[in-house]
Amino acid sequence: MTQATLTVNGRRVAVDAPARQHLADFLREREMLTATHLGCEHGVCGACTVLIDGAPARSCIAWPAALDGAEIVTVEGLDDDPLAARLRAAFTAEHALQCGYCTPGMLIMARDIARRVREPDEARIRAELSGNLCRCTGYAGIVRAIARVIGEGVDAAPPRRALSGTAPLAATVAAAAAPQKAEPAGAMTFSVEADGSTRIAQSFVTPFPRAAVWAFFQDPRKIVACMPGAALTRVEADGRIEGEMRVALGPISAAFAGEGAVSADPAAFSGAIEGQGAEGAGGTRATGRVTYALREEGPEATRVDVSVVYALTGPLAQISRGGVARDLAGRLTRVFADNLAASLAGRAPVEAAPLGAGALLWSMVVSRVRRLLGR
Amino acid sequence: MRPKGVGASVPRREDDRLLRGRGRFVGDIRMAGQVEIAFVRSPVAHGRLRGVRAPERFAGRVFTQADMTGVKGILARSGLKGFRVSEQPALATDKVRFAGEPVAMCVAETRAEAEDIAAEVALDIEALPANVDMLRAAAPDAPRVHDDWPDNLFLETFVDGDIERAAADAAIRVTRKLRTSRQCMAPLEGKGCVAVWDRHMEQLLLWTSTQMPHIVRSGLAECLGLEERRIRVAAPDVGGGFGWKGLLQPEEVCAAWLAMKLDRPVKWLEDRREHLVAAANCREHHYEITGYADAEGRLLALDAVAHVDAGAYSVYPFSACLEAAQVGSILPGPYDFPAFRCRTYSVCTNKPPIVPYRGVARTGVCFAMESIIDAIAREARLEPYEVRLRNLVRPEQMPFRNVTGKDFDMGDYPESVRRAVAMIGHDAVRERQKAGEPDGRRVGIGYATYCEQGAHGTSVYHGWGIPMVPGFEQCFARFTPDGGVEIRVGAQSHGQSFETTMAQVAHEILSIDPDRVSVSHGDTALSPYSTGTWGSRSAVMVGGAVATACEKLGARALRIGAHLLQAKPDEVRLEGGAVVGPGGSVSLDEVARTFYRRPQNLPADVDPDGLELTAGYRPVVDTGTFSYATHAAVVAVDGETGGVELLDYVVVEDGGVLLNPMVVDGQIYGGAVQGIGTALYEAMRYDANGQPLASTLADYTLPGAAETPPIRIAHMETPSPNTRFGQKGIGEGGAIAPPAAIVNAINDALAPLGVEIGALPATPHAILSAIAAAEAVR
Amino acid sequence: MKAAAFEIVRPRDLDAARAALGREGAKAAAGWQSLGPMLNLRLARPAVVVSIAHLPELRGVSETPEGVVYGACVTHAEIEDGAAPDPTRGALPAVAAGIAYRAVRNRGTIGGSLAHADPAADWPTALAAMGAHVRVLGADGVRRVAVEDFAHGAFAPALAPDELVVGVEAPRFSASARWGWWKFCRKLGEYAEAMCGVLVDPDRGVARAAFGATDGRPLVIADASEALRDPDALAAPFAAAGLDHDPVARRLHRAAFRRAAARAGLLEDVPT
Ligand SMILES: Cc1cc2nc3c(=O)[nH]c(=O)nc-3n(C[C@H](O)[C@H](O)[C@H](O)COP(=O)(O)OP(=O)(O)OC[C@H]3O[C@@H](n4cnc5c(N)ncnc54)[C@H](O)[C@@H]3O)c2cc1C
Ligand code: FES
Ligand code: FES
Repeated sequence: MTQATLTVNGRRVAVDAPARQHLADFLREREMLTATHLGCEHGVCGACTVLIDGAPARSCIAWPAALDGAEIVTVEGLDDDPLAARLRAAFTAEHALQCGYCTPGMLIMARDIARRVREPDEARIRAELSGNLCRCTGYAGIVRAIARVIGEGVDAAPPRRALSGTAPLAATVAAAAAPQKAEPAGAMTFSVEADGSTRIAQSFVTPFPRAAVWAFFQDPRKIVACMPGAALTRVEADGRIEGEMRVALGPISAAFAGEGAVSADPAAFSGAIEGQGAEGAGGTRATGRVTYALREEGPEATRVDVSVVYALTGPLAQISRGGVARDLAGRLTRVFADNLAASLAGRAPVEAAPLGAGALLWSMVVSRVRRLLGR
Repeated sequence: MRPKGVGASVPRREDDRLLRGRGRFVGDIRMAGQVEIAFVRSPVAHGRLRGVRAPERFAGRVFTQADMTGVKGILARSGLKGFRVSEQPALATDKVRFAGEPVAMCVAETRAEAEDIAAEVALDIEALPANVDMLRAAAPDAPRVHDDWPDNLFLETFVDGDIERAAADAAIRVTRKLRTSRQCMAPLEGKGCVAVWDRHMEQLLLWTSTQMPHIVRSGLAECLGLEERRIRVAAPDVGGGFGWKGLLQPEEVCAAWLAMKLDRPVKWLEDRREHLVAAANCREHHYEITGYADAEGRLLALDAVAHVDAGAYSVYPFSACLEAAQVGSILPGPYDFPAFRCRTYSVCTNKPPIVPYRGVARTGVCFAMESIIDAIAREARLEPYEVRLRNLVRPEQMPFRNVTGKDFDMGDYPESVRRAVAMIGHDAVRERQKAGEPDGRRVGIGYATYCEQGAHGTSVYHGWGIPMVPGFEQCFARFTPDGGVEIRVGAQSHGQSFETTMAQVAHEILSIDPDRVSVSHGDTALSPYSTGTWGSRSAVMVGGAVATACEKLGARALRIGAHLLQAKPDEVRLEGGAVVGPGGSVSLDEVARTFYRRPQNLPADVDPDGLELTAGYRPVVDTGTFSYATHAAVVAVDGETGGVELLDYVVVEDGGVLLNPMVVDGQIYGGAVQGIGTALYEAMRYDANGQPLASTLADYTLPGAAETPPIRIAHMETPSPNTRFGQKGIGEGGAIAPPAAIVNAINDALAPLGVEIGALPATPHAILSAIAAAEAVR
Repeated sequence: MKAAAFEIVRPRDLDAARAALGREGAKAAAGWQSLGPMLNLRLARPAVVVSIAHLPELRGVSETPEGVVYGACVTHAEIEDGAAPDPTRGALPAVAAGIAYRAVRNRGTIGGSLAHADPAADWPTALAAMGAHVRVLGADGVRRVAVEDFAHGAFAPALAPDELVVGVEAPRFSASARWGWWKFCRKLGEYAEAMCGVLVDPDRGVARAAFGATDGRPLVIADASEALRDPDALAAPFAAAGLDHDPVARRLHRAAFRRAAARAGLLEDVPT
């Protein structure tokens, strides 16, 4: 791998740190530039804001090795900058800092705002500052300080250069047919149980006689094969099973290993699979129970009622719930149903790739990370 | 008063280093040979810990409580009758009691590598049902947090009052159930420490981001079994505290122990996920409260049951019952009424231990009381401010002892309401409301008045019987040989601006230019003892101590000066950095030079203790100052989205004499915005298993600049009769009233829809749900 | 909160990028603004991250009569600032300006946003409402997919592990086009709770609406003319898309439509 080089406050430095070290830690730990603070390490608070090629950016979610050739400026590098000097004076005059922890990031941002915003309009300044949190000052002094400097006149930032890279690649292959939009497999309900676990109930009809479907459900290996990403490593005669599931969700992937048990009530054509597992390196634990009941819908069709109850603890659980589970559990239950139908008909599963780990874990993960990934 | 002395808005001398990125926060400290630690934390809220397994290759890098022989758990007793004691081990032993509780610590050269190890440590935990809902915690089948307790109560208190008679005559009776959310204090800098055994001093040196170095030292000494003289605790620049840095933390005990064990500097920095998950530890109150009033809205009686979710352990030094037990004495707030009954419960749950957050119990209490006042106003068909005017303690009643025996020092509470009404333009808002908004939103106006006992001392705290009872605050002061002044105090400044304001105090007394005064703080090795910075006490206590020390130091300088001027001692005074007599003056530089370098010129009876001393201070009446304020908010509520915009916000405040008005305003702005967070944004939610449901700032929303209106402040400045300069404690006040004022405004806006919000935060979702529910009823 | 160990590859060209993406545990990164937080929280633990934002083919822009093609790694801020031609008469820069915070917009990319397929993100919904297309480079060459078909669901783009988003085609609005965009956030810059884009371009026979911040893929109403006459017509598509599961969400999505349409001047008497 070629080594990356950065310019930090005008000095060229070679990046000789482990790749995983983010820019803020690189500056703080390798370059001993401790002005750049860490307040969240996930892009929200702005304490780590530095200039990358002249524009403010979060140094906690930038990585030196990916920034070869970039110019980095931290607050230490603004000692002799005339606009920064004016802002420092205004920050003091307006009492724009108390503990001072947010201040370096605020100054980097304030300088950028002063160069882009022409009028000392308070509402605009507040909006522009929205990505930098301060817990002490209530922002009053910060907003006033920036308004003061803008009001006294600032040279405008030069207009952005028009983009002039290589033209984007042209399409070379025929437009892919739009994927058909699958019909919902059946009504799905979501609820939160008294013990805090989440329950997803789904019902669908499969065009096979109940006896065939029942026989299928008695083979855990076959059922699990219908859940994308899941595999059994051991099946005991007494119903105990061991297995693992891989889940992938956007950039997140996690592998759960665990054990469980299957049980069945032939008289009622119902049964359950329950289990618990832990995610190796992530510390998340999951417990879940899948129950199913088969009802005849005429001689050649069976209604399958599936309900999934699960609870998560650990890092993946400690993110707000969201309704994304609805969509994904729906899609995966649909894939599960399709796979089930295909298997019953003796065909290979339609979708076996580990895009998710079956409705159970997939939706567990998704419902919890929603807020961070998105909402 | 002097130009740069008490009352002047002197610019801060702390600013320059911080503005240039040259502050030194705990994360910036790096010592040769340093290692870092990462904690393995419990993934479950409640469970039996059966084992901790680490891969063989990490031998010597993973530690549990079993390794920490001789280290005692953290004990924070309270002397209140019936208080049940919990012991918090540094690392969990037999049981885990909240999600995020530290169970093992992993050590490596870098934090990233320590986290790599932590990721491979497996915890064998048998999960138990969690006790999450404080209102159900008393149920016989509720899971027991501490196995040997008969129930889940740290403490129950009861203030009995004869409310029956008052209630019988009441024309108005309003009952509400009100709830505040569990919050994280979320200073922008997390907690952190660096521990090292200092061979030279034969001392454990703990750099820690704390508000109370001396208290941390005492607690640490107890846990580690070291004499206190063998420990030095020092706070570097601290990136905000708000209460979260006012305790001894298990992580500090761990780092200190490990530094001695490994004989290497050990660093731990709390990251944001740790803070949100393991430190969601304040504000969760529930009230069932009934107010009785006559037809004119005059309060006759108040009857309340309050629950406070105190979490799993009693925190050092404040204990688990500070909040709930306080409710019983401060719920009546600034109001004068005859009958009060209140039962409080400090409930033990499977959540992080409660720590007093800026305003402590007052934010919840104010929300409860002010909601009741507005409910009475609606019943009585009176303007809410009118009901306040009819019930507040009047200036002619001062000094006043209220229904719970609180001694109010002085002030004109109704005047703060009248000024707020004028400033906010109450009548114009009502007109606007009548006219309706062109965009269809609903406008509302809300008020909240509170009084804040601050800087309360021995006479208040000894009754709590907690590990820390504040007594005399002390200050070390000296002239250096070149005539500069060094001030050292044991409290700690992390945004409160001591380095500026205490230099102002020194200037006020000694007349020396504040630029020639240095103020150091927050280091047990450098300063006299102090219980630290909390409870809005610094301006009063530290300010008083600095003034006292400077007075005594000034007296010594005057004697020498008089001798040099050949004047009588009573003919000289301090002016412009000099001792001035009838016939001329001699600079303080010269006085200092004389004492240190030309002792031959000193008077024969010179005080041999010289130009340095430690002096102590405690107000004669140490029950605390009562600052007070009225906040008024105007909101626009969007009935389609539930969104709330703060259109205007006014604070009329009486903090007595302000040492530095600019700094005081800064405290009020900052506190008020935290209060806005409490009102509208911040909540740590838990599922029924006690899993915290936010671990990033995308889930736990803090107010930003765009969510904050320009806040207008007016000061009343009635001097306190009990303090050195007439100053009062104001550090926490800003954060007390906003939830009450804002929710009252929202409820004013939504009253025509029959909607009333009684839980914090008033999120768009909560507001829309309430509107939908009200529509369904109609 | 430090990332687990991973390797960073900075490929010389697109071929090298695709080759690197073929490695076990490889992930692309453009602006790192969505991937980065996941890395630090150790929710994402890729073995290799292939950083692509510097590749010139992904940074260019080309203009055609039908519209403008943006390289995948054009940033939100570049679009906001008008560094690239805009065929949408101001719609694109306005959407860009509303994403996150300036410091995030300076690095986050339009292609990364689509590839991330976050239901609450702005580009997937706004571009779907505009009828934009994505260009995807795979083993067989570059294919073209409508933005509305590009997401299977939340965080599930129609993208194979070694495929790259290389460009985004935005259509040219005609002079009479009306565009409205509205989103509701609890806090400025945070992900939206509801959002809607409405485009009526009679000269091109377009009357579309798209809803984001759903629980899954954006909901696109290809012919929104009826809903524009009578918003109650949204009830059926909402039900089909599961947007009506809770009364609060239903209210918010409806409000989003009415307000987006009002901003486009298509519905009157709507408070904003
Ligand atoms: C605090 C914060 C707030 C935010 N708020 C918002 C908001 O309100 N609205 C909003 O829309 N967004 C928001 N974002 C996200 C931001 O807009 C991101 O920049 C964007 O979603 C992803 O772009 P990126 O280039 O940074 O992608 P990256 O983070 O680099 O990548 C994201 C994902 O896409 C993949 N990927 C990236 N580029 C390509 C490509 N060309 N081909 C194939 N795969 C690719 C990566 O492998 C990864 O899985 C926010 C981000 C932060 C940190
Ligand atoms: S530390 Fe980077 S944004 Fe918070
Ligand atoms: S000054 Fe403390 S966080 Fe801004």
